[in-house]
Amino acid sequence: MSVDIIQLLVGGILLGGIYGLAAFGLSISFGVLNILNLAHGEFLMLGSLVSYSAFVLLGINPFVSAVLVIPLFVVFGVGFYLLLLKPVSDKPPHQLLVASILVTLGISLAIEDLTAFFWERPVTGIAYSLPAIELGHVVISSLRLSILLFICVLAVLLQAYLKRTFVGRAIRAITQSREGAKIVGVPIAHISGFTFGLGVALAASAGVFYVTLFTVTPVIGIPLTVKYLCVVVLGGLGSLVGSVVGGLILGLSEVLTAYYFGAEWSPCIAFVLLISILIIRPSGLFGIEG
Amino acid sequence: MSTILECRNIYKFFGGLTALANVDLAVQEGDIYGVIGPNGAGKTTLFNVISGALKPTSGEVFFAGKRITGRESNKICRLGIARTYQLVRPFASLSALENVLVGVSFGREPLLPAEERVTHALSQLDFVGLGEKAEEAAENLTLVEKKRLEIARALATEPKVLLLDEVVSGLTPTEVANLIEIVREIQSRGVTIVMIEHVLKVVMELCRTVMVLHYGSRIACGSPAEVVSDPEVITAYLGTTQPQTGGDGA
Amino acid sequence: MNRNGRRLSALIALAVAGVVLALLPRVAGSYALVWISLLCVYLTLAASYDIVGGYMGYMNLGHSTFFGLGAYGTAILLNHGQPLAVAAAGGMVFTAGFAALVSYPLFRLRGAYFALATFGMISLMKVLSNNLRDLTGGSGGISTPPGDHTIGAYYLSVLIAFATLIVSYRVSRSRFGLALFSIREDEEVARAFGTPTNLYKSLALVISSIPASLIGGTYVWSVTYISPPAVFGLEIALSPIVMAMLGGTGTLLGPLLGAVFLTSCQELLWTKLPYLHLTIYGMIMVLVGLFLPGGLVRTAWFRPELDRLGLGEKISYPDLS
Repeated sequence: MSVDIIQLLVGGILLGGIYGLAAFGLSISFGVLNILNLAHGEFLMLGSLVSYSAFVLLGINPFVSAVLVIPLFVVFGVGFYLLLLKPVSDKPPHQLLVASILVTLGISLAIEDLTAFFWERPVTGIAYSLPAIELGHVVISSLRLSILLFICVLAVLLQAYLKRTFVGRAIRAITQSREGAKIVGVPIAHISGFTFGLGVALAASAGVFYVTLFTVTPVIGIPLTVKYLCVVVLGGLGSLVGSVVGGLILGLSEVLTAYYFGAEWSPCIAFVLLISILIIRPSGLFGIEG
Repeated sequence: MSTILECRNIYKFFGGLTALANVDLAVQEGDIYGVIGPNGAGKTTLFNVISGALKPTSGEVFFAGKRITGRESNKICRLGIARTYQLVRPFASLSALENVLVGVSFGREPLLPAEERVTHALSQLDFVGLGEKAEEAAENLTLVEKKRLEIARALATEPKVLLLDEVVSGLTPTEVANLIEIVREIQSRGVTIVMIEHVLKVVMELCRTVMVLHYGSRIACGSPAEVVSDPEVITAYLGTTQPQTGGDGA
Repeated sequence: MNRNGRRLSALIALAVAGVVLALLPRVAGSYALVWISLLCVYLTLAASYDIVGGYMGYMNLGHSTFFGLGAYGTAILLNHGQPLAVAAAGGMVFTAGFAALVSYPLFRLRGAYFALATFGMISLMKVLSNNLRDLTGGSGGISTPPGDHTIGAYYLSVLIAFATLIVSYRVSRSRFGLALFSIREDEEVARAFGTPTNLYKSLALVISSIPASLIGGTYVWSVTYISPPAVFGLEIALSPIVMAMLGGTGTLLGPLLGAVFLTSCQELLWTKLPYLHLTIYGMIMVLVGLFLPGGLVRTAWFRPELDRLGLGEKISYPDLS
């Protein structure tokens, strides 16, 4: 029984790390662009598919692809920003909100539907789960441990990047005060594009680990985005530590719910958690301050 | 004359930042009261505390003898305190008339009967000289028109106290002169006015009492003439005794 | 006066539409009636969504939750032998109560957070309807007493859709509606000018939930079977919102235009193209977001038509109450 619990907690922590990493991507891009990317969960899914293909077709180790997807998806994210978000970014607040939700949710649906159309049909019969990925001699538990380690290293590097480099400081500056950053000459448009790309890349990188542990289907994207929202509300906007803590709370809650109440209840725990936070902290994290 | 608006020992902290420290304020009924001070001195924060947009960390606000500290802003508005915003905030896509109608329909107690509200709103627009623009969307108005619209929207709530936050900033001298006339007329209707102002000329011309805020503290209070000759005020504005760091005084 | 003339022509147009719709079952086949009923389902959802989404500016992506709750509530009561009127009323009361309850935490959020959280609410409902098997039949769905209700459902749906448009119209010209508009433009300022924003936000959500739950009840009565994906799925969740957006939110005519336009497109396209419906919805959303933020009603093509019909007039307040 206690071994069970330990296994469970390790699973929850791992899941939480993955959520935290991806949610932090959402958090920085929202902080900088003021646009909530509802397609964020899709990038985790796409990252999973890319690394799965890379493994099946080219035999690339997931740890290698976790690094390789980052530049790939930064480019992808910058393209997404330039093509779809930059054109609406200067609109007044209400229009920006409507336009950005339509655009990102629309893309999210399209990605999901197209992935389901092109992906699952050709690989019929493969229930897309990855106990199938066997990493040679590495046993499962040490796989989990190395993933955890990898996420920690990534988080530390990321934190250093945000604290030490010009771009990192610019990201934090814009998150705190867009106007102020503009006045001191931070190139908002450039930083926005890059931040969005970085956010997307973090989700994709998290997706590489996700696929080594869980089943990935094209429809996981939107529920994942709701989970990220829960993490961001738990942990606060633009804070890496907050995102990781929020991710851990959610990850542990999910595995414990699944253990005690049955797996069919764990998909709704993020929403329940979100509502509970909002009731406990009535001002909400983004309401009028009191 | 009696005191209509009073603040006692107001403190407001934002995280580690002190926005207001032990601020007292007493406004006599029918007066025009000026609040001046360098940028970031906490003037707008003080307005936010009075109007209920922010709760003070500690301290009390009294209006007409009643304690109103921490009440919700919609209730404070109905009690009779209305405001304008430094960076104008009209309801952009609504017409000028609709903007004022919000004030008429919700900001006053008792509620006007339905058929009188439009007439009342139009008369406020006429008063500030926007009668012609009633059907125009607020976002299409010029800056000075938006400022006038904000005054009309505030007046529509039949306030006893009107808080004006830098109504003349960014306007040409002629526009300033017109607005000064409007403010005088509002006062002559018996409305007490508290105004934040950067343009000292306007303060000297209109206000009977002036308070100076500096880094959240009240450093002087008195008649305009007294205040501008106060050495501490001069230092705060010109920063003669210490090297400039902020660099954005009056 | 011009406005009276327009109002007259609008009334005549409405009367003609009413007579045509009332007499239609005598001439049209059941296919057409089913199609119009479905159009009315979408129209009701789009127009009731717009009270919160368009007038008040809070994008409630979970609006179909109310549809689904109304449908499940009605179905369960029908199966307990209640007549339709009682069952639908029960579903409505339950749904409105639910809306009042969730409005408290949800409206702590704003903007995109609110949109995403309400969207999450649908998945919660899906999980609940799948898991509470005793009540809902689980993933197998729930069947109601069989029978051919085509004509009855047609009349009911048309009636509900029409009533929803009237409610929406009345709201837009009322003091309450003015408050919703002001909340959309700047909630903090609206509050500072006396609007009881929290109360009105909850009230708007409750009002918008009622038509959605009633049309949900009518829908389940007519099709006699629903399952979690049918009422809590993505298509029913998003099509009404896409319709309202495409037509133009914050107007009476936008949802109507969007619903007729998109339902017709579906009718033409879906039979020829069995796949990728969601992709098409997605692309429409992207295009509307990028190029048509005001929707079709605000484009140059429709403006004159609306003026002629007399339904596109600016809101003015001769009878503000």
